[in-house]
Amino acid sequence: MSVAKSIAAALGRLMREDRLSFLGLAVLTLLVLIGLLGPWLPLGDPTRIAAGPRLAPPSWAFPFGTDELGRSYLPRVVEGIRATFLLSIVAVTITAVVGSFFGMLAGYFRGVTDHFVARGADILFAFPAIIVGLLVAAMMGPGQVSAVAVISIATIPLFIRVVRSVTLSVAGRGFVTASEVAGATPWRIMTVHILPNILGAVIVQLTYAMSIGMIIESTLSYLGLGVQPPQASLGSLLRQGSAYLTIAPWLVLSAGMVLSLAIMSVNLVGDAIRDAIEPLKGRALK
Amino acid sequence: MSQPVVDLQDIVVTYRAGFLGGEAFDAVRNVNLSINEGETLGLVGESGSGKTTLGRVCLGLLAPTQGAMRFGGAPFGKLRQRRGQLSVVLQHSEWALNPRLRCGASVDEPLIILGVNAEERRKRVAAIFDSVGLGDGYVDRYPGQLSGGQRQRVSIARALVTEPRFIVFDEAVSALDVSVQAQVLNLIMDLQQKYGFGALFISHDLAATRYVSHRIAVMYRGEIVEDAPSERFYGTPDHPYSQMLMSGLA
Amino acid sequence: MSALVEIRDLVIAYDGGGGETRGLDGAELSVASGETLAIVGESGSGKTTIGMSIGRVLPPEARIENGTITVDGVSVVDADAEALRQLRRDRLGFVFQNPMTALDPTMRIERQMIRAIGGKPSRDAIAVLLRRAELDDPERVMRSFPHELSGGMAQRVIIAMAIARSPKLIIADEPTASLDASIREKVMETLGRLREENGASMVILSHDLRLVSRHADRVAVMYGGRVVEIGQSATVLENPAHPYTRALIAAAAGNEKPGQRLEPILGAPPVLRGQSQKCAYEPRCGFARPECAIRRPEARPVAARAVSCHFAEEVAAATGNMWKARTG
Repeated sequence: MSVAKSIAAALGRLMREDRLSFLGLAVLTLLVLIGLLGPWLPLGDPTRIAAGPRLAPPSWAFPFGTDELGRSYLPRVVEGIRATFLLSIVAVTITAVVGSFFGMLAGYFRGVTDHFVARGADILFAFPAIIVGLLVAAMMGPGQVSAVAVISIATIPLFIRVVRSVTLSVAGRGFVTASEVAGATPWRIMTVHILPNILGAVIVQLTYAMSIGMIIESTLSYLGLGVQPPQASLGSLLRQGSAYLTIAPWLVLSAGMVLSLAIMSVNLVGDAIRDAIEPLKGRALK
Repeated sequence: MSQPVVDLQDIVVTYRAGFLGGEAFDAVRNVNLSINEGETLGLVGESGSGKTTLGRVCLGLLAPTQGAMRFGGAPFGKLRQRRGQLSVVLQHSEWALNPRLRCGASVDEPLIILGVNAEERRKRVAAIFDSVGLGDGYVDRYPGQLSGGQRQRVSIARALVTEPRFIVFDEAVSALDVSVQAQVLNLIMDLQQKYGFGALFISHDLAATRYVSHRIAVMYRGEIVEDAPSERFYGTPDHPYSQMLMSGLA
Repeated sequence: MSALVEIRDLVIAYDGGGGETRGLDGAELSVASGETLAIVGESGSGKTTIGMSIGRVLPPEARIENGTITVDGVSVVDADAEALRQLRRDRLGFVFQNPMTALDPTMRIERQMIRAIGGKPSRDAIAVLLRRAELDDPERVMRSFPHELSGGMAQRVIIAMAIARSPKLIIADEPTASLDASIREKVMETLGRLREENGASMVILSHDLRLVSRHADRVAVMYGGRVVEIGQSATVLENPAHPYTRALIAAAAGNEKPGQRLEPILGAPPVLRGQSQKCAYEPRCGFARPECAIRRPEARPVAARAVSCHFAEEVAAATGNMWKARTG
């Protein structure tokens, strides 16, 4: 009850003071809802061939038009949202767990542990995501698992760096020292004292990783290394539509706009969370 | 004659810049100090003089490069074996307590680590909040809801809850207002009367140190240049550096 | 001696969770040209609020409800953004408690100095300014980033910036609190010397009574958002006439004899919800009488200073010369 109230109050404040973030949150919520409920929405079957004429422009029957096989494009875009979000969320969750673990190890133990973790992250960081993508796709074959692996590999180094640096600053605080002197185990210090205090930074980083993940997923699918037909993701829809860019631009436009909206809304929400966590930055002499 | 609880013998701490080799620098040089039960030793000096490093050695957080630390007459060993026997109160009242834990949970932690049962823990936490002059109401509050002086009282409660033999106060009152500082200093002295712990009071503030300590060691560039009873620091101490610190009090 | 700063009946409120609180409750203060005035008091007494109100450098939740602030003829309360900017830039210089947060960590000192001076100063001009603040190797300092400087050097850079445009008033908020005890005195001396060379006035916000007694001509003691005692430093600190001033001195370590116990001030400073109708110090005061709880004391002259206490004469007589008595 009181939680619901305070969330409502926070949302109200956000709407009044930061319209842009509020808009981002609204768009993101809408997209996630559409993605979740997609299969049950009365939009038609995304895989039904010849549901209408081929490459038809948007109309009441087919709001986003139809593709070259006469499939209605709206349910395909909805399926694309679902696939893109799902893959990114799975990948970023893996990233968050693995990245936070190694980042905390490096930041808390420092010394040799830090040396190895930081160098490892640097090495991963040195490869562009696309090269990693080609490599992984070549080894594991294209598909969803490869896409998840590539997103994780590409975002883990960023995560490790951020978690490591916030851990370094938290580990220097008095309550950690006091706990060490009391004889606490490193496990206890990391779970009781460090993790709850870096959670804010982790969540912010999570949203950034999420938007990077969506970009990588789309890129891979666009290159044909991600989601395989007949399944759709926003990236594979872009690829499919780009072949008919001149005669049926609505295909690329609809998938591209939804993708841009998704990435923008995730970033806006990330910024809003960051502002909420560090509200007083640069406020002294106004 | 009371027993020394902490005994430092020819302590040297050398820091090396870089991963391997690099330039070496002695943060602490040939320090001999002992602190008795029920006694407070003040340690004053400017930042970079090595007093915080020496404090970390006394807490077992840092192994000296040379020399030995004896605790209660025996070699110090591992920090985990000494749990409950020593503790620390630090500066920065806003970071001295985990902001995500209720004050009661922070004070409870040393007892959990010691393996005390829940019933006993609840009793001891309540008793120690009482001892530091905070009522029951504070057990369930978060540090953010407390003033600087109250947070420092909670820190002291956490340090005392296992009834340790030795406590390090590292700049423990430096960030507090004058009137609150006096309350906390008086509290430290009263609690020492009651519990009999030995204490190391590290500070750059000679006035507060002189007030709370029995003896004062003056540290300058890694060395103890003077170690004398506090009364000396109400008159004229021997070492020129001590005299310079004193001039700030005139 | 004309007044450079005149603050009259100033009321500043803060909007916060749980309603509005008063930071200043009818504060009065004047700063004469060329003098050094210290403002002392606990956190929450209003000393930072009144000090920063001079340049209207207040947090966004603060609101000026009543009163006037006049700085060198400019009405700060009515000034528009441009007038305020000019006032801060040309006539005020600020020195903050922590030089490391006051300096921009991403910028070399040289560029920060250029910004503080304004226009296109020559390297020599910057070096002269840094040398005046007693930085011996200005070339090296100019090349440095803030983290490459010690706390004392960084504070000297801040001081050089504060005096760069020859301000008429320097506002120093706990200027030495973050520095080592061994260099505090020297930094204060530098600050005092530069103030004198510029013929400027200075307002020091501090809780360090010892520092205040050495470096301020006059001292104003704040409590509950008002100035409760103001006068010559020696007069006020050696023979306080307000019970709160007396309690502050008795609580500070450094004046006691060996074995003597400090007397902390019990309780906490008040949180004012509106104008205080009584003496705000009454709940903590050892001299309090029934009258203190029903009538708000106004400032009145007692023994060569102004005091807001119904029983100031009694307090002054009872305390005697405490500074000397305790150290003697």
